[in-house]
Amino acid sequence: MLVLSRKLNQAIMIGDDVRVVIVAVDRDTVKLGIEAPRTIPVHRVEVYEEIQRTNRAAAGEPAKPTERAKVADLGRGRRPPAPNPKGG
Amino acid sequence: MIEMIEDTEAETTLDLPRFGTCTFRDSEVLTFPWGLPGFAGLRRFLALHLDGQENFVWLQSLDDITVALPTTDPYSLFPDYNPQLPLYASSSLDIQRPEEFILLGVVVVGPGAEAMTMNLLAPVVINLRTRVARQITLETGGYAVRTAIPRKAAPTPAGA
Repeated sequence: MLVLSRKLNQAIMIGDDVRVVIVAVDRDTVKLGIEAPRTIPVHRVEVYEEIQRTNRAAAGEPAKPTERAKVADLGRGRRPPAPNPKGG
Repeated sequence: MIEMIEDTEAETTLDLPRFGTCTFRDSEVLTFPWGLPGFAGLRRFLALHLDGQENFVWLQSLDDITVALPTTDPYSLFPDYNPQLPLYASSSLDIQRPEEFILLGVVVVGPGAEAMTMNLLAPVVINLRTRVARQITLETGGYAVRTAIPRKAAPTPAGA
């Protein structure tokens, strides 16, 4: 792991288009400002880990043979709203 | 009797631990190029449903056939669900028109099937045109990873 020391308002670049700024430091809490293209997802790691755990829990039921399954027709059902091209 | 074979695409038959014998075509395989959180190495999935359980779609891994996740249409259980997909979803999945993609919510069945939850924060988004899929974490809406499914609305997936 690369470890860098930064002071308040200093920043690091990740690649050419991701910029991370130290916005505030208060005891054991650091506030980061992240400027990244909207095409790059940015999330707290705890959220990602919770999704990982939940997916494993969903699959975690002991597999037992049931009736034969068929490939689902995914084209039916209600449509979600179109993504907003401006993001968010 | 002569069978007319119009479609020459090869079929594959697998013996699945949960679903028994299943036959599918290459064009029916879903690809998760970014993996599925918790199963990052698994890229190829089938969407399966059981007779009489059409509301439940099982994402069955083809790379590890012991892995299958139950999912369902979030709108049928949560009529007010209104996810705003972030731009990285439409750009990475090359979604051009609203009618070419669907959402599925991952369902967790608790012990005894009495407590079922759906992941409304991170729906699985599938581009039906390209068969490419990705689990997308929403950035707005305040949805939870484990949202309790109202008891009345909840059908129990067989095999879970």
